Amino acid sequence: MKIRILAVLPLVTVLLISACQDDDGPTGCNCTEDDIIEAVYNPQPYELVFPERFPQPIVPEDNPMTVAGIALGRNLFFDPILSSDSTMSCATCHNPQMSFTDGQPNSEGVLGMRGRRSTMALINLAFNANGFFWDGRAASLEAQALAPVEDHTELNESWDNVMEKLRRHPEYPTMFRQAFGIERKSEMSKELAVKAIAQFERTLISYNSRFDKVAWEQQGWPTDSEQRGRDLFFVEFATNTQDHPGCSHCHGGALFTENRFFNNGISDVNGLDEFPDKGLGDITGNIYDNGKFRAPSLRNIELTAPYMHDGRFNTLEEVLGHYASGGHGTINEDPNIQPFTLTEQNKEDLIAFLKMLTDTSFVHKPEFQNPFN
Amino acid sequence: MKRLLLATALLSMMLIFSTCGKDDEGGGDMAELVLNFTANYGNNPLVMFERTYDYEADMDFKMQLFQFYLSDVRLLRQNNGATEEVPALDVDLLSFANIYNDADAAKGINTETVSIPAGTYTGLRFGWGVSPQLNATIPPDYPLGHPLSENYWEDAKSYIFFKVEGNADLEPNGDFSDKLTFHVGGDNNYRELTFEKTFTVEKNGKLTIPLSVDLKKILIATDGEYVDFRQVKQSHSNTSPAAVFMAENAPSAIQLR
Repeated sequence: MKIRILAVLPLVTVLLISACQDDDGPTGCNCTEDDIIEAVYNPQPYELVFPERFPQPIVPEDNPMTVAGIALGRNLFFDPILSSDSTMSCATCHNPQMSFTDGQPNSEGVLGMRGRRSTMALINLAFNANGFFWDGRAASLEAQALAPVEDHTELNESWDNVMEKLRRHPEYPTMFRQAFGIERKSEMSKELAVKAIAQFERTLISYNSRFDKVAWEQQGWPTDSEQRGRDLFFVEFATNTQDHPGCSHCHGGALFTENRFFNNGISDVNGLDEFPDKGLGDITGNIYDNGKFRAPSLRNIELTAPYMHDGRFNTLEEVLGHYASGGHGTINEDPNIQPFTLTEQNKEDLIAFLKMLTDTSFVHKPEFQNPFN
Repeated sequence: MKRLLLATALLSMMLIFSTCGKDDEGGGDMAELVLNFTANYGNNPLVMFERTYDYEADMDFKMQLFQFYLSDVRLLRQNNGATEEVPALDVDLLSFANIYNDADAAKGINTETVSIPAGTYTGLRFGWGVSPQLNATIPPDYPLGHPLSENYWEDAKSYIFFKVEGNADLEPNGDFSDKLTFHVGGDNNYRELTFEKTFTVEKNGKLTIPLSVDLKKILIATDGEYVDFRQVKQSHSNTSPAAVFMAENAPSAIQLR
């Protein structure tokens, strides 16, 4: 009798799953959440590949990287099942071709509402120890991935609904088991979902730009313009009397960021309380943090227009023009925002250098593309 | 490969340091050590944004950032008539960026707490900046969050030993629109300091050594020469006159409290 029951069980499971597939609403499903997931759990560890010049990545002890975890995370990242009307996924705003941005000053969610900030590029996230989002409010990638689903200006869905849809899906229960070793659908949780998304996002590592080839791998030479731009970008050999952009103060290191927060002088306000978006200050409650935002990596900056947290600048020329003006003198404006002479030649050279940071192999890497295509 | 060897050598050195710290000649009785630094400008506590400091030649300034590295912190003790160094802490970064009021300024900033053998010591020695051995390493040699994982000049191949940032009123007319950024690094600007004083710490006790650093003495030398903000408002270098001047002044700015 036991053998007969076991033989019938997969059939029943298949029937239940197919019933789920035909049903759009979470309440219409006949699935039993305690259904056992029939799949082999044999996790294969995944080693992140990155150059010696990068710091050690941050991988939480409770979320080790596995091949199955990354595969699940990639599916979730590109699957509109995470949105309330199944029209948008993470990738809608984080398009791989634009270094995981969307080309918008602020993105439109499923309700047609726009967020207040520009989509951040997803690049070299595994090396960020200082919180995520423009204001650093999420301590980890896992915490970051929780937010967009329930944000009304983004995916506008409840995690309860998402998990219900995932439990009824023909493939996700198996993928969750392969990734995390759970045995029952009831064990599928938002915590595991965001762990998987975080695993996928940690693989988004870029280090094959022309700058990497020339400066670190001795493959080719910079053009004269690129070299002049580089000399302007880095600061430590500038003389006291030489005005210079000082870009590397905030965008230094092999990652072209240290993920620190600054008031970079873009807001012309009369007082610290008057920033239209207080950024880090809203998170820390410290008035001197008002108007401070993350200085993002400049890797692939050519692909991530428009620029700044509110997407106010459409071109790199506009960005350089702002910095050359020296800011607006707000009390907590970073002192490294100094006015400098921006000749047409300087501008051309700096942009030539910034374009050296474009990594087309990153944006076209098959492993980073939509798995449903 | 050179970097790997260097990193291995440094790791070995740190292990030896840490072994030394745990292996008391008296039989393993251990205690804790922490250095507490307060910062001031002359007689006034150093606070960010909130205070205006009178400077030379009718100039005023306000602070936004003051930070510095300490390295190779050692305690001194006598051993058969010879002075012996007991390694305590390899490196730390002390930042006063979040000091906004006098009360917090009085509390100061602590170094990492480290383990040392209990006993009596005759002095304290440390480097202002990053020691040449550690300065030969690079941020990727360290995990993110380690003091040496940031504040690095790629071209000059040096950590930035200390930063002084703020805003100056050069007239003075209440307009602090001139921005000051002095970043100093380079082996030539590393300074080793020794303080002779008897410290005793019992087994399982905690030794807190209070020190102070006076920014005024970094900006203004004992002979009255000073960094003239009207002439130089930024210096990001290991060789600029302002950088070398400030590094030379640093030893006189640090005292036991």
